[in-house]
Amino acid sequence: MDQFSRRNFLGAGLVLGASTLFGKEAVKPIVTEAKPFVPPMIAFPEKKPMKTISDRPPLLESSRDIFTKAITPNDEFFVRWHMPDIPTYIDLSTFRLEVKGSVKNALSLSIDDLKSKFEPVEITSVLQCGGNSRKYFAGSGPATHGVQWGHGAMGCAVWKGARLKDILNMAGVNATAKYVGVNGLEKPAIDETPIFFREMGIDEALTDELIVAYEMNGEDIPYLNGFPLKLIIPGHFSDSWVKMLSEITVMDEYRKSFFMDVAYTVPDNDCECVISGSDFEYKRKPIAQMKVKSVIGYPTPNSVIKKGSRINVSGVAFDQGKGIKEVMISLDGGKSWSATSLQKDYGKYAYRLWSFSWEPKTKGEFSIMVRAINRIGNIQPLPGDIGWNAGGYQYNAVDVVNVKIV
Amino acid sequence: MKINILIAGILLSTTALFAQVTKPIEMPYVEYPIEAGDHDEIVQQYCLTCHSFGYMLNQGKKSRPYWTGTVAKMVNEFKAPIPKEDQQIIINYFVKHYGYESTTGH
Repeated sequence: MDQFSRRNFLGAGLVLGASTLFGKEAVKPIVTEAKPFVPPMIAFPEKKPMKTISDRPPLLESSRDIFTKAITPNDEFFVRWHMPDIPTYIDLSTFRLEVKGSVKNALSLSIDDLKSKFEPVEITSVLQCGGNSRKYFAGSGPATHGVQWGHGAMGCAVWKGARLKDILNMAGVNATAKYVGVNGLEKPAIDETPIFFREMGIDEALTDELIVAYEMNGEDIPYLNGFPLKLIIPGHFSDSWVKMLSEITVMDEYRKSFFMDVAYTVPDNDCECVISGSDFEYKRKPIAQMKVKSVIGYPTPNSVIKKGSRINVSGVAFDQGKGIKEVMISLDGGKSWSATSLQKDYGKYAYRLWSFSWEPKTKGEFSIMVRAINRIGNIQPLPGDIGWNAGGYQYNAVDVVNVKIV
Repeated sequence: MKINILIAGILLSTTALFAQVTKPIEMPYVEYPIEAGDHDEIVQQYCLTCHSFGYMLNQGKKSRPYWTGTVAKMVNEFKAPIPKEDQQIIINYFVKHYGYESTTGH
């Protein structure tokens, strides 16, 4: 479906959509004096100056040029909290991770316990907010609700910690256990506000790859990224990568909650998107596995490049853990595509750097587009073809950067 | 954009970055610009309880149904204790200062 007809198609759904909770935005209106909000660049503790969408709760976005690195430095790693009340100090002599619920022996573990009583494991994995790149949905469909992130709500780090499985096995999960709930120390301002509580099936919790991490890129996890503990779920969106992880609750029954059943959900169909009508007429499912994606780190949008110079177009690609097979690049608006060279492989859950040597020979405006495909044939959709959902989750359309050759 | 003195201090002292937090961190306070008038004091009273004004500025200009849905989400899902008449004041404020009246009827 081309961009134009898709827009009309989605627009037709609006009449039915009404002003539901996450109601759709109208087809692009004419807005005068639109002053786009430019977040200030502010340095938070342990961070370089970053795009500060909000200070409370902190929402800090990384700049696009970070996507020229396979590993995202801790001090430039994005930050996203849900609740305003975050402790400003954690005393490790009293901090404990509680493991409780449907287990034979409830545990109360210090950071030293986690480091000494369990086999340490390391995994390099992308951490991406489910709403990353949300603002680009506006280019191909109605506006979406939520923080209007660019691409900078993702990063890739080396995580070190204890396997969740090993912790659960030490506690001894009851045969009746079906779910594992996780939450951290962030708290809402009002008691009635639902806490940030996430759940997963017991089978998922007992897989090898989930880690209760105490290190990020060889350092303590930065405070704003969840010091002292963060749950790592490689290949999955970050929604359950709980920061300041303090409680693991094994449960026999699923517990309904806002953050599982309403937020971070998409239509439960094959495209995980709205085909017609209102988003919330659909049965929901939580977002989980990430989708194949590539992003351009260099050059950045509106760069001016001299004709005849040679530049190294580069960026990152990743998927849900199947592995990147190829990243293709187009310099003519998508008419022809060439292969880029893939750089070092840091593991199936990590960023794969790609690069392409380009020597522009004519002056004018150019659109650089990149498109990744993974080893099971998942390929990024073109911007006009991406399935739309009201929450603006899982954006993974082909990235486009416009530059000027002079 | 106004940023208070605390932040200016943090911007200047940003070269050394240590992973270990040994004392309480000092969180910057950002004074996001808020358009005055149409009972902005009511908007601030309720909205700023839980989050900064950056959340709203980041949305860009939005329609009346959009802001109505957003306020409904705060009340119904996040349990913001906003009386009905104040909800309407807040919606009107955002439509006027950070949005537009929609004529599409949805």
